[in-house]
Amino acid sequence: MKRTVVITGIGIISPIGTGKNIFWDALFHGRTGFSPITLFDTSQHHVHVAGEIHDFDPVRFLGKKGLRELDRSTRLLNAAAKLALEDSNLEITDDNAPSAGVSIGTTFGSLHSIFQFDRAGLIEGPRFVNPSHFPNTVINSPASRVSIRYKMKGFNTTISTGFCASLDAVSYASDFIRLNRADIVLSGGVEELCEETFIGFAKLGYISGSDNSEPCCCPFDNRRNGIILSEGAGIIVLEDEDHAVKRGAPILAKIAGYGNAFDPSGDSGFNSAGQGLKKAIAYALRESSLSLHDIQYISASANSTRGLDRMETRVIRDIFGERAFSIPVSSIKSMVGETFSASGALALAAAVGTIQHGIIPPTVNYREKDPSCDLDYVPNIARNQPVDTALVIASDPYGNNSAIIVEKYE
Amino acid sequence: MNKRIVITGLGVVSSIGIGWESFWENLLQGTSGISPVTSFDTSGHFTHNGGEIRNFRADEYISPDTQNMLSRSSQFAVTAAKLALKDADLSLEQLSTMIVGTCIGTTMGSVQTSEIINQFIVLQGRMDFGNNLICQVPTHSTPAAVSREFTLTGPNLMFSTACAAGNYAIGYGFDLIRLGRADLILAGGSDPFSKVAFTGFNQFGAVAPEKCQPFDKNRRGMMVAEGAGILIIESLEHAVGRNARIYAEISGYGLSCDAQHMTLPSVEGVSRCMMQALRETGTGIDEVDYISAHGTGTPANDKTECAAIHEVFGPRARHVPVSSIKSMLGHTMGAASALEAIACALTVKNNVIPPTINYETPDPECDIDCVPNQARRQKVNVALNNSYAFGGNNASLVLRKYIP
Repeated sequence: MKRTVVITGIGIISPIGTGKNIFWDALFHGRTGFSPITLFDTSQHHVHVAGEIHDFDPVRFLGKKGLRELDRSTRLLNAAAKLALEDSNLEITDDNAPSAGVSIGTTFGSLHSIFQFDRAGLIEGPRFVNPSHFPNTVINSPASRVSIRYKMKGFNTTISTGFCASLDAVSYASDFIRLNRADIVLSGGVEELCEETFIGFAKLGYISGSDNSEPCCCPFDNRRNGIILSEGAGIIVLEDEDHAVKRGAPILAKIAGYGNAFDPSGDSGFNSAGQGLKKAIAYALRESSLSLHDIQYISASANSTRGLDRMETRVIRDIFGERAFSIPVSSIKSMVGETFSASGALALAAAVGTIQHGIIPPTVNYREKDPSCDLDYVPNIARNQPVDTALVIASDPYGNNSAIIVEKYE
Repeated sequence: MNKRIVITGLGVVSSIGIGWESFWENLLQGTSGISPVTSFDTSGHFTHNGGEIRNFRADEYISPDTQNMLSRSSQFAVTAAKLALKDADLSLEQLSTMIVGTCIGTTMGSVQTSEIINQFIVLQGRMDFGNNLICQVPTHSTPAAVSREFTLTGPNLMFSTACAAGNYAIGYGFDLIRLGRADLILAGGSDPFSKVAFTGFNQFGAVAPEKCQPFDKNRRGMMVAEGAGILIIESLEHAVGRNARIYAEISGYGLSCDAQHMTLPSVEGVSRCMMQALRETGTGIDEVDYISAHGTGTPANDKTECAAIHEVFGPRARHVPVSSIKSMLGHTMGAASALEAIACALTVKNNVIPPTINYETPDPECDIDCVPNQARRQKVNVALNNSYAFGGNNASLVLRKYIP
């Protein structure tokens, strides 16, 4: 009766690699994607490093025509969508277009465009602002341009829930498939590196190296002192199982369950938070008809800030009890950096790679143990270990929490 | 899965009234909320009018400490939520026993805060603006502020689907209750008056100089505006169990994407959206008694929407009342479809249709009954609430008179 949602394709544009295979390979080899920032002038800032995607060539994916009017988020997302469609062997036709949807998580996807548009008005006067830049100021423009470019006429939704956005977008897409509103959905998230988000995170003290120390992204490590800001786009092709089977699509994994919950008592340091994440995981399990015992790997959202990493550890310990110490828990943010609203899609893509290849990505840069973070974080070196069921989690400082369980498809 | 979902509380922050009672009274009287813009200097713009909310006092609803942390958009949303909860007769104590979620839609989010920050950076070359401003920028600070204010632990989502966002939020709130993931949802939309939006629409030549005249032959464009609307939605069983007053039933909704152009609407896309809503809710075209139009007052939107109504409703198109309350409020962006859903709920409950004001000259390309200038008393069992957005994101919501 209930439709089953499967993953039939992945498209990744990230600082550690383009395309799912190169992305997985980089994760399994523990490669990091951090380098000096070139997108904007950092001479006035303390930190000069980020997860900028230097080799991103939009022309390769999108051609030259109409490219000028697309902002960076839109280019990254459209390129990821192209890769995902190819990976899924999916062609959008007049027949399947109305049942092909798009569900994207982004929170700052248009922030740079908003600031630039407003800036032009302030400096040159409102009558001299270029109107062709206006459509980029709406947050749904990256997602909408995916539908326009690839002629997908089903629903098109943009969800902005910070760190949780792309997991929430995947959950929403899965609901739409289950509710028979779509057969195929391109879901995921995007976030671009720009000066505005960089300044914001830096001023709030979130960025590693703000205190003139050497920037380091080392989740769960005692030396951690902030994030390395990053960018990327991840698209997961979700599909109704029968639809996928009928068209002979490659089925990479299955979405087993998902849940989200809010933590009204949450604080930016995640000191009192935790109840929301526990509920999100419990809801995901309930929906999946799996038990705690089935979870063989946890992809954490730990981003090298003191509070979040500790909170995730505490929640995993509380939920799994003694078994918490024998479940591998790793954070790919140690390699990719903090891609914010794209992070969930990248983590989910990584978890699919783990299930496919039986390799768990490591938490790199791990050196010094923090007594309050005492789980098995798969330090520094990937681990060969078969995984049938993985839990991907995310928490946001405003109080959002999301969890998705992804399972081997048989 | 087939739970009936009802609306049991309404909260409005608008240029024609704070609280649904004054909003509704002004809608029926055809009161315009349009006035000269005061929140920034418009002397460099082509037009100078907008739909700002003049009498909004955040401190009447929100504590000073909290207020300082909230963008104008979040202040609107928290206020509308507070009014809606009071209207639904729900106490914090009652809420603590349920799973309550928040689904909000927006176009520009907390853009006003970004505009304030940009003034520091661009005009004054200063970087020492407060961290409280930075914390207001992420758009999801708005639904978070609502759930924090009332200690809500259910799903919390921000839909950034531009000018149709309110309907997306209400629609998914409806889904979440049906799927058993929440007992009650605060759903709606919120948007502040934005200089970016005002400038952008002005540069598009899409803003009317004086007033908004949907469906009029001489219509000159839309009116940028602000506001928030929040609806309390819950299952019928839950509502009856707590003796709640029921405004209307939500039958369901339909979404579509034009997949054609970022800013030009498409007859095919919006027709498909209405048909999807009717199909999903099992509503026949003869059943629809009222259409709350997207009706922005731009030449392209109104022409497209009327053609789509003809496409979907055939000969009946000329007999279904179709009105646009944007003629009074202007375009409140992400809040628009939420405020229109509130108007639909009140229409269905009271059998009175709000008018399209400023209507003077019929347009053969808008061959519909737009309820010109005067509210109309008429039985309405089923209302269809249309909303369209940049990017070709369309959403239509179906509301039905509640019959036990």
